[in-house]
Amino acid sequence: MKSMVKMIKNLSSMFNPKAVCVIGASRKPGKIGHEILKNLINYGFGGKIYPINPEAREILGLKAYPTVKSTPTKPDLAVVALPAVYVSEAIEECGRKGVKAVAVISSGFKEVGNARAEGQIVNLSKKYRMRLLGPNIFGVFYAPSKLNATFGPPNVLPGRIAFITQSGALGIALMGWTISEEVGLSAIVSLGNKSDVDDADLLEFFSQDPNTEVIVIYMEGINDGKEFMKAAKKTVMTKPIIVIKAGRSERGARAILSHTGALAGSDAVYDAAFKQCGVIRTSTTTEAFDLARLFAGQPLPDGDNTVIITNGGGMGIMAVDACKDSGVTLMDIPKDLAAKFRKNSGMPTFGSTVNPIDMTGQIYEAGYSGAIKTALSDPRVNSLIILYCQTAVTDPKMIARAIIKTLKENGAKKPVVTSLVGGEECRVGIRELNRAGIPSYSEPQRAVFVIGAMHEYARYLRKRKK
Amino acid sequence: MIGLAAARKKVAEILASVRKDGRRELMEFESKQVLAAWGVPVNKTELARDVGEAVGRAREVHYPLVLKIASPEIIHKSDVKGVKVGLGSEFELRQSFSELIDNARAYKPNAKILGVTVQEYLPPAREVIVGTLQDPFFGATVMFGLGGVWVEVLKDISFRLAPLSVDDAREMIHELKGYPILAGIRGAPPVDMDALIDIIRKVGQLAYEFPEISEMDVNPIFAFDEGKGAVAADARIILGESK
Repeated sequence: MKSMVKMIKNLSSMFNPKAVCVIGASRKPGKIGHEILKNLINYGFGGKIYPINPEAREILGLKAYPTVKSTPTKPDLAVVALPAVYVSEAIEECGRKGVKAVAVISSGFKEVGNARAEGQIVNLSKKYRMRLLGPNIFGVFYAPSKLNATFGPPNVLPGRIAFITQSGALGIALMGWTISEEVGLSAIVSLGNKSDVDDADLLEFFSQDPNTEVIVIYMEGINDGKEFMKAAKKTVMTKPIIVIKAGRSERGARAILSHTGALAGSDAVYDAAFKQCGVIRTSTTTEAFDLARLFAGQPLPDGDNTVIITNGGGMGIMAVDACKDSGVTLMDIPKDLAAKFRKNSGMPTFGSTVNPIDMTGQIYEAGYSGAIKTALSDPRVNSLIILYCQTAVTDPKMIARAIIKTLKENGAKKPVVTSLVGGEECRVGIRELNRAGIPSYSEPQRAVFVIGAMHEYARYLRKRKK
Repeated sequence: MIGLAAARKKVAEILASVRKDGRRELMEFESKQVLAAWGVPVNKTELARDVGEAVGRAREVHYPLVLKIASPEIIHKSDVKGVKVGLGSEFELRQSFSELIDNARAYKPNAKILGVTVQEYLPPAREVIVGTLQDPFFGATVMFGLGGVWVEVLKDISFRLAPLSVDDAREMIHELKGYPILAGIRGAPPVDMDALIDIIRKVGQLAYEFPEISEMDVNPIFAFDEGKGAVAADARIILGESK
């Protein structure tokens, strides 16, 4: 067995390198070897950057080196952006120099049937005890070390969500999406062909990474299901794992003889595996990041009771329907608490205190504050969904600010999500709430879904800790 | 029940003998021998090669009993009229024996027929299935479902990966849409959940320890009322391609 400690340590130097070299750095804008170097420089990487190009003296203002061998210090990470035929030679050179991790951007390996070439670079990296990310990837990003060694968007927002993706194109697209949605990321790792570094390795790393609070994985298939389960089972005890699992992997040309064989789709097996190790599966990327945002910003609930506060009956009813689908337990409001909701929110007599707490459209900021304080201070309430319908008499922005202020002042120790439905002003409110770490969505169903999934995760943890 | 080491040895022996016979499918009585060795309750099932032996076996099994054709070439015994249920006397047994053999011959004249199995008759119960397969990525996978022989129509099933904890097995049962049927509706008592949990876990463990068992259906399992256990009434074990 190879030294596991060393292998993890080398993985760690992939994320925290003192020096990085870009093999195949190019002077031509638009070339991958150029864009990666540009991202590295512009994102503010603090260590040394060595462009490797035998034909250039200088690229983007940095001194270029003809070979890895000729760099003045040892790079910990080498990013390889060369045509596939030159990759093994570059890896050999990295190994000799003492590089600890290589990220092979190049494609033209197993994904096009060239398993032999892939085997060759894996063997070389093993020989020199280097970790190999890829091949066939768009790079690696790690916010704490300001490392943007990708050819994706340059301006990723730093945050506490690690994103691991098997798909390159979708990964880059989602990078852009997180920027426009203001989702902060601690890391982005493109896994590509997973010839060495795979999901299980990264779970191991991120479970110990103090800068990451939640892990999102876009997964198409898995090489070693048992290893993944082992790593996931361990990781979920401290950090939630959200998997967007796409594609139905082949079971192979196997004659099915039994009822069980006929009934077991591979998707059902993945579902079972995820359930058993506490991994949350979502069907869309929106769901995944909605949920990640909640985990990154809010604490876990101590129990199952959820209260919904709303200013509109229709929105409340939609949320209640969604609660059924998402496994959310709507708390039966005890009499004393109902009286408090009524008094503290100042709702009109025709308001309702049967969960959802419907304060009606006549309510202002003070009503929201009063109801929120009531829910936060009662230990029987475990989580809170705040809904708002834009009305003629209120400003969504002011409501959002009132929510933020109330939660801040009362040091919320239970998860809170919000949904603001209405026009452009609601978008502004949603943005402000999200920036304050209070997840906010444009539809009540999304808020209910994430709370439901968080409660399920909390139940799983309670069961495991029992 | 025998010890675990002895159970492993016994199972390995049965599987080896089937391989030696050039087969990849165990016959019902062989599958039940494996399960019984592994501690899974099965109804008493004895092979009888001729009518005389059948009469002798019947004395051990007790009337009423079930008679099924035993041939490695006949998988779906009911389809060839190869099953007789509730035989109450030696007279009925003798009559049924020749009937089963004739039916099998009519279906497949050259089929290798070992004889019949004489089986303990089980009173009606709620029927469930426990099955396994080897997933190429996750290994031994266990299925639990409602409906016994109707499982492929109902498709009310749940999956987990072996080895299974008690909680895993319990969740598999709870997850079914038809769970209330097992929990008891309209005044019916619940089925013996602990017995089902035990069977699910043991069957999972069997597939986990013997990856060469590529597929397995323990179906139907008769789930009796609470405290009265559960018993496998039929079983099929299929081995993977030999390496």
